[in-house]
Amino acid sequence: MNIIVKDAETGNRITMQVDEDNTIEEVIEEVANYWKKDAGAYVIRYGKKILQANSSIKEANLQDNDVIELIPDPEGGSCYRKIF
Amino acid sequence: MLRVGESDKDMLARLKLYEWYDENRVKSQKILLVGAGALGNEAAKNLVLSGYKKITIVDMDHVVHSNLSRCIFFRSEDADKKRYKAKVLAERLAEITDISVDYYIDKVQNIDENVLKEYDIVLGCLDNIEARLHINAHAYYHRMPYIDGATHGMIGKVQVVVPPKTPCLQCGMNITHSKVMEKRFSCTGKDVSYFEPNMPSDINTTSIIAAIQVQEALKITHGMENYIKNVFYYDGNRNFSSVLQIPINPSCPNHKK
Repeated sequence: MNIIVKDAETGNRITMQVDEDNTIEEVIEEVANYWKKDAGAYVIRYGKKILQANSSIKEANLQDNDVIELIPDPEGGSCYRKIF
Repeated sequence: MLRVGESDKDMLARLKLYEWYDENRVKSQKILLVGAGALGNEAAKNLVLSGYKKITIVDMDHVVHSNLSRCIFFRSEDADKKRYKAKVLAERLAEITDISVDYYIDKVQNIDENVLKEYDIVLGCLDNIEARLHINAHAYYHRMPYIDGATHGMIGKVQVVVPPKTPCLQCGMNITHSKVMEKRFSCTGKDVSYFEPNMPSDINTTSIIAAIQVQEALKITHGMENYIKNVFYYDGNRNFSSVLQIPINPSCPNHKK
């Protein structure tokens, strides 16, 4: 089946062919690599739900051509110090 | 006898117009504020202005000049003198009203377990996943409400964790969170804050997120059930905000029975 993944930061979309037993975490990793996202934490939003990383496409109840969205999971909030 | 203008002598007069607001309950709550940076400054301000009187701040860092665009309580001379954020924030909060502010200049991971469990509510205003997971786990274990705030440019979120009713932070994490933690270690060899060089940060998003955190603290303090039971997500780029559901992860170590 196909699912459409949208990048919340850029608006870009990609159609992915997935199996029912693929996990949400695999989808996150695949699209983050494909879009060469900056190192950072991301989650998948499906409507008003954040999908659990270890659940499968089937368990997440995703249907053919559903649109899901890759959104950043914020990590900041204090005052960052650059240390290299 | 009621005199015109008499109520204006009370700092909390307008808050008391809320039927539910209980000054004694608010001022008796012990709040642990973890992180005295951008979110920490805003949250601290709102806590004090909301009537909280017992606040403990934890932060290991010192003030630098780039903090000043987001930290209302810090001054240029604090940065010049490399003063510790927790100490400066405690001092400046005490200038607003009579308040008891304690502080620890340390990582939250180093705070004694017996100290951590003394608090009624924990506010997380942190900048890294490790510290978040640490306080999330300890708060969950001791059944303390934990209100986590975070920003990423003009995006922010607030997650309210009320054990055992809600999911916790770890329930929503995945391999990308692990990679961020790995990168932090590999970049520096130390457990310190790692900065994504291109990520901006602004006071507006910070203020919104910190305000929601304190608003949720007030609800929990008053035993209200209308607190955010999942994640409040704000995206200022797209003018979008929503409460997103996040399921309890049965394999999350904090939820395993």
